[in-house]
Amino acid sequence: MDLLPISLGLILLLFAMIGLGVWIAVALATMGFVAIVVQLTLPPGAILATSIWQGAKSWDLTALPMFILMGDILFRTRLSQDMFEGLTPWLARLPGRLLHVNIVGCTVFAAVSGSSAATCATIGRISLTELKKRGYSDALSVGTLAGSGTIGLMIPPSIILIVYATATEISVARLFIAGVIPGLMLTGLFMAFVIIWAMLNKSKMPPPEPPMPFIKRVYALRRLLPVLVLIIGVIGSIYTGIAAPTEAAVVGVFLALAVAWQSGTLSLPMLKEALVAATKTSCMITFILAGAAFLTTAMGFTGIPRVLAEWIGSFGLSQMMLLVALTVFFIIMGCFLDGISMVVLTTSIILPLVEGAGFDLIWFGIYIVLVVEMAQITPPVGFNLYVLQSLTGRNIFTLGLYTAPFFLIMCLAAALLAIFPDIALWLPRTMLE
Amino acid sequence: MHHARDTRRLDVAWSRVGRSSFSRQKRTILMRRALDATYAAALWLSILCLIAIAVLVGLQVGGRVIDLTLKSLGLPQTGFVILSLSEIAGYFLAAGSFLALAGTLKGGAHIRVTMLINNVPPRARTLMEACALLFGAVASSYGTWHLLQFALTSWRFNEVSSGLVPVPLIYPQSAMVLGAGLLAIAFIDEFITTVRTGRPTFTGTEDAISLGQES
Repeated sequence: MDLLPISLGLILLLFAMIGLGVWIAVALATMGFVAIVVQLTLPPGAILATSIWQGAKSWDLTALPMFILMGDILFRTRLSQDMFEGLTPWLARLPGRLLHVNIVGCTVFAAVSGSSAATCATIGRISLTELKKRGYSDALSVGTLAGSGTIGLMIPPSIILIVYATATEISVARLFIAGVIPGLMLTGLFMAFVIIWAMLNKSKMPPPEPPMPFIKRVYALRRLLPVLVLIIGVIGSIYTGIAAPTEAAVVGVFLALAVAWQSGTLSLPMLKEALVAATKTSCMITFILAGAAFLTTAMGFTGIPRVLAEWIGSFGLSQMMLLVALTVFFIIMGCFLDGISMVVLTTSIILPLVEGAGFDLIWFGIYIVLVVEMAQITPPVGFNLYVLQSLTGRNIFTLGLYTAPFFLIMCLAAALLAIFPDIALWLPRTMLE
Repeated sequence: MHHARDTRRLDVAWSRVGRSSFSRQKRTILMRRALDATYAAALWLSILCLIAIAVLVGLQVGGRVIDLTLKSLGLPQTGFVILSLSEIAGYFLAAGSFLALAGTLKGGAHIRVTMLINNVPPRARTLMEACALLFGAVASSYGTWHLLQFALTSWRFNEVSSGLVPVPLIYPQSAMVLGAGLLAIAFIDEFITTVRTGRPTFTGTEDAISLGQES
């Protein structure tokens, strides 16, 4: 039988299963199973067991539960309060004032957290109430939080980048370094937007904070010390090459415990809660990865990705047009799927297409993370929106409206990244060669 | 907490119904308690695996830091190395990930798209949930069976890891089989619950998670 109709049928089957509420991991594995049964005479069961085993015992992947655990411990400390109070005096003078605390706070926390929703929840826990108390517009305080929370995915450590790295067998450290500048670029763009908005809408801004003498402001910086230690310990050890990402993640876990102990929030029940939550989250992700590992192997045997790549190649799209088409497809998919599922689908099915079109795989990893970031704030399925829904009690589509300007800024960032690939590639090139 | 409630239910059951249906109810409750305890035990084994990774890697990094300090002071180094650490950590990860599967399902934390399920009439929802769960049960049973064959092969041929420390592969692989088997049981368990009550037990938590109430 011709491979192309089978390929399209399989993709249809996958989306049908996902839509009907089958667990993503099960749906991925089933697609792999059907592909093998329809197309080959190989034993699907043996391939299933081998590829799951090969995928599940990865050393690189070990970083994943450790970074998740670190985030779960930090979420239960006083870190977010400390960061709010350390940052506020310094950012209160910029036009847009405390809205910048959301953006900068998320950026700083992104350097110790690998997830967008965790960043959003940790920073938002304190800042949303404080901003409301001071009379900031809901639309902007929620929007800035949702938008900059997504930077948690881009600035290392990043769970999504670990997933992408294990699936494509690219070095985690390299991807981590590549994410730094694009992450900071997003921060810059968000801050610029808030500054411009605040200058145009002076009447809508609440009264300024009482001025604080310089000495006091410097003294307030001590509140940022814990997060600084964490950043240096985790990111520093990766960049200087002392530790592999997994080791850095474990350093992060112990430092997070130290921060919790120092702030007096460390207790047995707290530790137990963090351990259970982290174990479930990382189990959820590794389950998807196990399904995806089987799907990738199955796809490799059947040659479906190659056929898809040739089919799309036959349209004669230019590299840019292909990228635009992929981006639109991802954004639509991102309205319904979570980021990790999107990344594993990409790596198991369309990677040959991406490679064939001549994209650099590190660059593409960063690009796809940016698109996944957009997906985090598009209703009806967007994890940052879920977090904000529980923090504010607003309807998810209202929240989507609040985040719309930030979605557009991210589209701009994606365009910049596409036009200037060096935004992602310059730092790993200069640091590692 | 569960215990108290179950005992109370037992008392109520005793006073209201006759002996035969009582013993059926008692069996159901005992079964429920045994299953939940098994899922919880596996989840804690999985947590222990993660702790083991953290401790082993932590010791290694600590050893390296001490050696770097000694070196900079011009003192002899300890040369502390955990052999085959990356392999062993990988095995703990594989074992841990699978052992937590059932507990994670019961906690409603495995990801799926619930948009359609949440927006159909209750009866259709029950039907869809039951189908999804049954499908999950069949798929995970199939996976368990083949993982078991895979592990048995390792056992029969005494396969060990290729690193300096030869770890028998049957250890992590049997944990994976156990975890996958428990997942299949949890799927069946939830399927039966859904057929009986109309909803899986994790509906509440799943909704809470998709509302972001758990970080």
